[in-house]
Amino acid sequence: MISRILLEDVLAVAMSTGADFAEVYAEKTRNNGIRFLDGKIDTASDDMVSGVGIRAFIGTRTVYATTTDLSRSGLIRCARAVADALGESKASVSINLTERIFPNIHPVKIVPGSTPISTRTDILKEACFAAKERDEKIKQVMGNLSSVDHTILIANSEGLYTTDRHVRTRIAVSAVAVSPDGSDNQSGSASPGRGMGLEMFDFIDPKSIGIKAADQALVNLSADYCPAGQMTVAIENGFGGVIFHEACGHSLEATSVGTGTSQMCGKLGQQIANVKVTAIDDGTIPGAWGSVNIDDEGHPTQRNVLIENGILKSYMIDRLGSRRMGMAMTGNGRRESFMYEPTSRMTNTFIANGPDKNEDIIASIEYGLYAKSMGGGSVNPLTGEFNFGVSEGYIVRNGKICEPVRGASLVGTGSQILMDIDMVGQNLDTAQGMCGSSSGSVPTDVGQPLIRVSKITVGGR
Amino acid sequence: MSFNEIKDIIISACKKHGIEEYEVYYTVGEDISAETLKQEVSAFSSGESAKVYFRCLVDGHMGYASSSYFDADELEALVLRAADNAKVIENNDVVVIFKGSESYAKTTAPEPVAIEAAELKKCALDLQKATYAVDSAVVDGTQSIAMSFKNEMYLYNSHGLELSNRVGMSGCYVVSVVNKDGEARDNFEFAENIYSEDAKNLPAKAVKGALDKIGASEIPTGKYNVVIDGAQMRSLLSAFSSAFSAKNALLGMSRLAGKEGQKIAADIVTITDDPMREGCPVQTHFDDEGVATYKKTVVENGVLKTMLYDLTTAIKTGKETTGNGRRGGNIAPYNFGICAGGYTLDELFAKAGNGIYVTGVKGLHAGANPITGDFSVESEGFIIKDGKKAGPIKSFTIAGNFFNMLMEIDSLSNEVKWGIPGGFTVFGSPDVLVKDMSIAGK
Repeated sequence: MISRILLEDVLAVAMSTGADFAEVYAEKTRNNGIRFLDGKIDTASDDMVSGVGIRAFIGTRTVYATTTDLSRSGLIRCARAVADALGESKASVSINLTERIFPNIHPVKIVPGSTPISTRTDILKEACFAAKERDEKIKQVMGNLSSVDHTILIANSEGLYTTDRHVRTRIAVSAVAVSPDGSDNQSGSASPGRGMGLEMFDFIDPKSIGIKAADQALVNLSADYCPAGQMTVAIENGFGGVIFHEACGHSLEATSVGTGTSQMCGKLGQQIANVKVTAIDDGTIPGAWGSVNIDDEGHPTQRNVLIENGILKSYMIDRLGSRRMGMAMTGNGRRESFMYEPTSRMTNTFIANGPDKNEDIIASIEYGLYAKSMGGGSVNPLTGEFNFGVSEGYIVRNGKICEPVRGASLVGTGSQILMDIDMVGQNLDTAQGMCGSSSGSVPTDVGQPLIRVSKITVGGR
Repeated sequence: MSFNEIKDIIISACKKHGIEEYEVYYTVGEDISAETLKQEVSAFSSGESAKVYFRCLVDGHMGYASSSYFDADELEALVLRAADNAKVIENNDVVVIFKGSESYAKTTAPEPVAIEAAELKKCALDLQKATYAVDSAVVDGTQSIAMSFKNEMYLYNSHGLELSNRVGMSGCYVVSVVNKDGEARDNFEFAENIYSEDAKNLPAKAVKGALDKIGASEIPTGKYNVVIDGAQMRSLLSAFSSAFSAKNALLGMSRLAGKEGQKIAADIVTITDDPMREGCPVQTHFDDEGVATYKKTVVENGVLKTMLYDLTTAIKTGKETTGNGRRGGNIAPYNFGICAGGYTLDELFAKAGNGIYVTGVKGLHAGANPITGDFSVESEGFIIKDGKKAGPIKSFTIAGNFFNMLMEIDSLSNEVKWGIPGGFTVFGSPDVLVKDMSIAGK
């Protein structure tokens, strides 16, 4: 993408006013997208993202600059802007870059952008028509098949020069069900993705995605509003893991821990969750949605045990966080694109299987909510106050799953809910999300087995 | 590469490949920001970015492609990719490259000025120092940021239509973190224009907001009269604004489908969409299809006067476009806001009697369904007791259906609170009183 010799010069300029570290991140990304709407392929588009971000540190002071001008003069101008904004001293630095190749643990068989568009429209249509044909009450189906082919180059003043290529694919189907008299409509969705090419559909049948979206819309159409108040809640596997992502994960990122704005500051080694809770962030799972070979700072991803039997074991730490906290990097430095300075982010984060049988969890609830499918959520890491939406829920009565309810949300405080997860089941599964934070939107997996929360506020009416 | 160079390469590529109808939209911009922590400038960033968006008609279908990689071969490849993308489209919509409006209004925003890096750093640092000085409860983690951006947009199409626009703004925000009696709380406040009076008042406002949240209690689940702060009501309006898109209506994805001319809100509710609202720094006189934009009343005294249209939906329904076409075949508003009513905020509290004042809603992306109108969202706020604002409350949700709520708005305050522009779209609302809303608490 950019020659090693030129990068050495660019880094030397970035270091020329006293920086103790400098880094160049270059990116070339092809995003492809196809949209299905109203029974037909509606739009096909593609986008090429190309640009460079240069940053430099003095201690924990940082300067970051970006450009889309990849010429020698453009890159030197960008590095000069970084140096001028960072320091006033004069330093003559020479940089020697040594190329390093990290192992590729996510091989890709079928790069989506290299296939005929018709191959991809066929997959998307198969999924969408499966939703449409599920029931005559399904009146509208939207679908998207998107793929990202992301090549990055990272060079830094420690001599690292490396490149990586990462491909990911996702399909999203949403279905709208309308009541026979037309007075009510409800929606359902399913959106699996993988750090793979089109071979992801060897594992996931497109039809099953459409059917899942349609069935959720149909359940919601037959549901009444969820009652409001505090209750015991069983949260199902897969996207249910968003509860950990919001209630705890963000508060373990150096982004908030390193600036002293996390409820989890200073709690390493302490009991912060129920003993049944073990939580892991693992960026190395082959082909997973949140996996990458190296993070966006050139550090290999790793498996970080965050919480073990309720005890806080580790934070997720990027390079700047490592300086702020005096702790080692954990391979979590991520960003959406060159437009963003990297920061600590989750990869594939999940609660591990626990000791309880799933049927015992449901049987233990006298009256409560079974949240079968979750929507997204958000959190304030300082206070730990979080929320997330329930996209498919049922009332549990006398240990049995009963009628469906719609429109519920769950709110609470991270530190409290971690203690209140009092049963952890054994059907760990993950689901895909796009997580938004200061370094943009990045793909992350969330996951868990079925869990029971003894008491949480359910928003409804 | 300049816009003219890009345009010339694309024009010859289209000629070479027999593409007759097309449009080139190019944006180029600069942004800078300075950030402080612990009373020091901790981070500074500057960015230059440019992107070209190309679309073309092939056999009556529109194909799209975009790129930020500016080289002659890539630009030719861009044209071919868009043409390939057009070939798989199956819908029968009539799509056009626009010939141009008869006339275009002039934007009223001042010419954007570049703010020097040193000025931004000083602004951020001054805000930071002033924030720490407000109260001894202010602690590290408190952050202030000053930013500015400038963007230029150029549109050219095969009918010879050429349009351009320049926008820019500066702004600053403070996230104050306070710790009192062992309880940590934070609060975010934003001000447009780093030299404004609002910017000077940010530190005091940010700290007061955080301190006011200390010692919050929980309330019982039930039905309450609710005063929703304008800044929160505009977030709700934003979450459900896609219902005003004619495209969503045609697809059966809007509760407002087929309701033009009908009552959809209380008599006191009027909603306008203005691409050139006085005082808004980000304005445009043309939409992404090259159509002249104008101010329109979308809801008048509770009656839905018009949906928002682009060229395709206008042709499909026999209407005129409202100049709300956005890239990628989307439709979106500009300054979209509920007009002010006649009451002060204190009068709304008095009318509520006993109830809740909602000053924060979170998680709308998950807790609000734009198709059905249902929402159930995490909130923060204050008790209203005997017609007056009382102590803070936390960990509760408000729930309802947005479209039912529009019908049930009891009264509006006399000040519209506008949000931070996101592209050309900004939402605004006065404070609103809604009676008997569902609240989930302890």
